[in-house]
Amino acid sequence: MVYIFFLFLFCLVLGLAAVASNPSPYFAALGLVMVAGAGCGVLVGHGGSFLSLVLFLIYLGGMLVVFAYSAALAAEPYPEGLGSWPVLGVMLTYALGAVMASVFFWGGWYEGSWTSADEFAEFSLFRGDIAGVALMYSMGGGILIMGAWVLLLTLFVVLELTRGLSRGALRAV
Amino acid sequence: MNPYILSILLFGLGLGTMTTFASSHWLLAWMGLEINTLAIIPLMAQHHHPRAVEAATKYFLAQAAAAAMLLFASTTNAWLTGQWDIQQMTHPFPITMITLALALKVGLAPLHAWLPEVLQGLDLTTGLILSTWQKLAPFSLLLQMQTSNSTMLILLGLASTLVGGWGGLDQTQLRKILAYSSIAHLGWMILVMQFSPSLSLLALMTYFIMTFSAFLVFKLNKATNINSLASSWAKMPVITSLTPLILLSLGGLPPLTGFLPKWLILQELTKQALPLTATLAALTALLSLYFYLRLCYAMTLTMSPNNLVGTAPWRLPSFQLTLPLATTTTMTILLLPLAPAAMTLMTI
Repeated sequence: MVYIFFLFLFCLVLGLAAVASNPSPYFAALGLVMVAGAGCGVLVGHGGSFLSLVLFLIYLGGMLVVFAYSAALAAEPYPEGLGSWPVLGVMLTYALGAVMASVFFWGGWYEGSWTSADEFAEFSLFRGDIAGVALMYSMGGGILIMGAWVLLLTLFVVLELTRGLSRGALRAV
Repeated sequence: MNPYILSILLFGLGLGTMTTFASSHWLLAWMGLEINTLAIIPLMAQHHHPRAVEAATKYFLAQAAAAAMLLFASTTNAWLTGQWDIQQMTHPFPITMITLALALKVGLAPLHAWLPEVLQGLDLTTGLILSTWQKLAPFSLLLQMQTSNSTMLILLGLASTLVGGWGGLDQTQLRKILAYSSIAHLGWMILVMQFSPSLSLLALMTYFIMTFSAFLVFKLNKATNINSLASSWAKMPVITSLTPLILLSLGGLPPLTGFLPKWLILQELTKQALPLTATLAALTALLSLYFYLRLCYAMTLTMSPNNLVGTAPWRLPSFQLTLPLATTTTMTILLLPLAPAAMTLMTI
């Protein structure tokens, strides 16, 4: 269990370094997939199975797919992949920086293993994330309405920003 | 812009600030700040030229980074202390991070670098909204937080007054001058925030009135640099003769309104046994005063020559709305005698 967690967190940091090392957007999206996947694994290990599934579905299966299609509209013949030296050098630097930061926070031998703690001591059907979503739909109705309104506002913001083809703000379209 | 879209965006701006005002939970406060950021982006890019789009992009990146840091800090606070309440933060690490995140949101030095460039790319009306309304929500959060790092707040304040004065010295573009003016005034506000939040609020309100007048004067003149101000004596002589009073009020000279916050802040700092801080703040305010004085010189104290046609526009009727400018100019110049009333109105 500890080893699976360590693998997930390692992939998370590696994927973050891949995104931050400025490759072409397709490879950065690949790094994001790795980050989201590893993050979902860590979430599941801590008892947030519903949240993890929703993250996979909406983030990876909705937002990232739309991003990938939009990036494909601006395809270039020789994209800067993760193997080219400018990108790989930056990525190795970030990975080295992450290792140095972790060495700074390195604890003793007792921090080599950990157990994931969930919220409820007894066997309950209401886990933290599912109960939270249920609460958001019941007693947190105001926040839900505001969240939906903010999403609508975001839609109008994006439509207004991209309006007008090449006469608007996006001159390349 | 389509009036329906404009009304939705302005409603979003109001909703965001009101949400942050009404919140006691960090997530709701963060939500209000994000709504504000989102709603102003199309207003910034509405003229669609590359400079405006660049300004909107820079604003979005800076504000998104600050909001992410705010979210991370409130999550850390929830982890360390077990609760999300804004007014009951006790651990110094999240408090420091949130203070820095809000300083980035509002444009305090040394996190001020985005403000002059963003303000330069906007038209004067959107710049006014950015300088005034967008400062309200982060300011309300700063007022509510318990301070654990007194030194950091004083350093932020002194750095802001210094950068606001020093950075504005070589500028000829009016929007950048107003950006550095905003940085300096915010520095004064945060200097006194831990000692007397009501004085901080008074400084904010007087800054709003003064900068509203300044922006409107420049908007009526359709002037964006100092050279364009030189012809305002022929276009609107009365406004030209009152603008030095507005600018010197921004600079903090008695007997104008801008003296009020600076006076009371210096008194409060002295009472708190910080005479060196008070001296440094007053000295850095001199730097700002220099560029306000330069604007007065170019606009009013010198009647720049113009050809005969250019000296006639004041004879023609103007169809621009001047009532807001009239109100705020009166308040910018004449509010100092009402200082006790102003103090009692700020009841934080």
